[in-house]
Amino acid sequence: MKEGALIHKKICMLGGFAVGKTSLVKRFVTGQFSEKYQTTIGVKIDQKSQKVDETDMVLVLWDVYGEDDFQKVRASYLQGSAGYLLVVDGTRKETVDVAGQLKALAIQTMGSVPYVLLINKSDLRDSWQVESKLYEDLARNACLVLETSAKTGEGVELAFAELAKQMLKA
Amino acid sequence: MGVKTPYPEILKIFEALILHVQSASHYRILGLVPSWYPLEISTDGRSIDPEEFIKKSFFLQCFLNEAEEFWQTHNTGMLASGLWVEAALMRDGSYLEATALIQEEQRFIIVQRYQPELVTLQPVLQKAREEHLAHGQELEVRNHVEAQLGSQLAESEQVRDDVLAVLDHLQLTIIMIDEHNVVTYVSPAACHLFTLDKQNLVGGLWPDVLPLTAEQSRQIQEQRALPEGNRIAVGISLQKKHQALLEIEIEVHDDPRDYQRTILFLKDRTEVEDLRRQLIGQAHFEQLIGKSPSMQVIYKKIREISPVDVPVLIQGETGTGKELVAQALHRLSARKGKPFVAINCAGLTDSLLGSQLFGHKRGAFTGAVSDHEGFFEAAEGGILFLDEIGDMPLTVQTTLLRVLQEKEIIRLGESRPRKVNVRVIAATHQNLQDLVAQGAFRSDLLYRIRIARLDLPPLRERREDIPLLSEAFFGQARAVTSKYDVQEISADAMQTLLRYHWPGNVRELKSTFEYALIHCQKNHIQPSDLPPELHDSATPILSLRSSPRDEREEILAALEQVKGKRAQAAKLLGMSRSTFYRRLSELGISPEECSL
Repeated sequence: MKEGALIHKKICMLGGFAVGKTSLVKRFVTGQFSEKYQTTIGVKIDQKSQKVDETDMVLVLWDVYGEDDFQKVRASYLQGSAGYLLVVDGTRKETVDVAGQLKALAIQTMGSVPYVLLINKSDLRDSWQVESKLYEDLARNACLVLETSAKTGEGVELAFAELAKQMLKA
Repeated sequence: MGVKTPYPEILKIFEALILHVQSASHYRILGLVPSWYPLEISTDGRSIDPEEFIKKSFFLQCFLNEAEEFWQTHNTGMLASGLWVEAALMRDGSYLEATALIQEEQRFIIVQRYQPELVTLQPVLQKAREEHLAHGQELEVRNHVEAQLGSQLAESEQVRDDVLAVLDHLQLTIIMIDEHNVVTYVSPAACHLFTLDKQNLVGGLWPDVLPLTAEQSRQIQEQRALPEGNRIAVGISLQKKHQALLEIEIEVHDDPRDYQRTILFLKDRTEVEDLRRQLIGQAHFEQLIGKSPSMQVIYKKIREISPVDVPVLIQGETGTGKELVAQALHRLSARKGKPFVAINCAGLTDSLLGSQLFGHKRGAFTGAVSDHEGFFEAAEGGILFLDEIGDMPLTVQTTLLRVLQEKEIIRLGESRPRKVNVRVIAATHQNLQDLVAQGAFRSDLLYRIRIARLDLPPLRERREDIPLLSEAFFGQARAVTSKYDVQEISADAMQTLLRYHWPGNVRELKSTFEYALIHCQKNHIQPSDLPPELHDSATPILSLRSSPRDEREEILAALEQVKGKRAQAAKLLGMSRSTFYRRLSELGISPEECSL
């Protein structure tokens, strides 16, 4: 997707509900964080310019509502994505399964595009239920696996930067 | 373009942006442009270029691709995009939703705007998800608590197992009882002590399942009712089948965790009690009473001699209990189930004694009207107690010696020997060695019968036993006389008893109490209740008998008093029957005189 001379890349944020997708985008785009949980309805689209290896690009961030029993993610939302961030909540091991289903949907819809696996809420590491053995399958083929915290900002910049880099290469 | 807008007023109310798709990239706005439209619009309310709007929306561009597929595959119907928020397009954060329509081959895109507060799905979904998260957190906390409790439980069980293992190892004898009197724990040592299985004890009411008498249970319950500091240990004796008596001490403690629960600590004191008894001396042995060192020696010798199947000679003054010792030897020997036959050798002629000992054949002598089995045969397999053997005529001594050597007897009037298996225990108050020297006793018989010897001490040489013996005889005399209102022996009376020299020994002491009980008018025995001879300790009763004439008169008086009944006369005089008969013989008192 292009607007003028800038390269636009669509990135989908995928994961179960309340894993912190919106907070990660907010931290990345505005540098802010809110403790209050606000569930996402539909899709929220934000943009952020990113320079990768001297190349200016605009990341179009599709913060897709979290999948659960109430809402299934529409495959059409994923179409046209150059990459995605697959988010797991480290404090809830059931979000690993949801991420697995979304990864399958992403592969089915987008084919083999770069993705970064984020184990989010590293600020609550003491309460983590998710061990590396649990997300072995999710991590397979990921260009990077990161422990992140939208609250502290840990790993957030690196996650987007690495994905942007991989998308540019692809 | 020829399309008639049927309901412009309605469209105006909904403020929808309606685009007529004229080609893949050419759109036309139908009706009024809604007020929320983010781009510049012309004065007549119509956008000049709706494609600019589409170009600004990444979402709408994607949706148009999806709509194109829909239009190509459908002749009628619609496809909704779902809500989206796009900051680059709608700076106020409002939601948009696009709908692709196809009607009579005409394609339309309708875009509607929703203020966030009008998105009704949001609060519902928000609430549902928050509840889900709260439930998840609650579940997690519960799981965490469960895991923690499980871990604590496992830890507690481990500690409990360790403590029980230590208790078991220490062989502590413990019974735990709950507030409902139910046994909740019994240590293996306690099970072993009672010879009961754990399953027979745990779960039952303690007075029912523990092998205690009602009185013992009452004592324990009494202690339970007291404050812990005021309790004393309850001592109980427990007779287990085929086992010695157990001496158990039970300490009653509160469970420090719950004062309604009780822990019984049981201590097997049997061995301690045995040792204590050994240390302070045994007060009773069979029917013998006494804890003096001299009696301890006697008890020890009885234990040593009884199992060895040899003749025994018991020597001691009259009344020292020679027959009781003989009976003890019998009961403790392998012959205990066989007869114990006692015969007094004093005062019998040689023919009569021979007949009684060895039996006779009918017609063997005048009056032998039938065959008669002697005491040797009667005691077959058991013990023959020959009291006052020193008074045995020499002819009988000779026969006895042969019987002891050959282990066979010949009845008087017979020539056929009969095998006998009898252990002989002889007793005498005389010095047999002196009798041998005087030629009144066969030395070879003496050597034969004194393979084992017991010399009983006179009572005056074991005065420390007098209180113990007194208590025993006092109890017996109360029973005989039925004077249960007499409660005790006064200190003065006891002093009198201790001062006396007891020529008649224990037998005399026993008859003294019968005398005292008969005369006692109060609830305790006073010195005045005792026989008169006890009050003149300077003039021992023996001195009264030092003169044969006086003694002869005394015996005759006694015989007269009891109308010639020798046994009663002997008792009256504090003599054994054997001594009495011996004295009759020695003093030349004829049977006729006895009957007078």
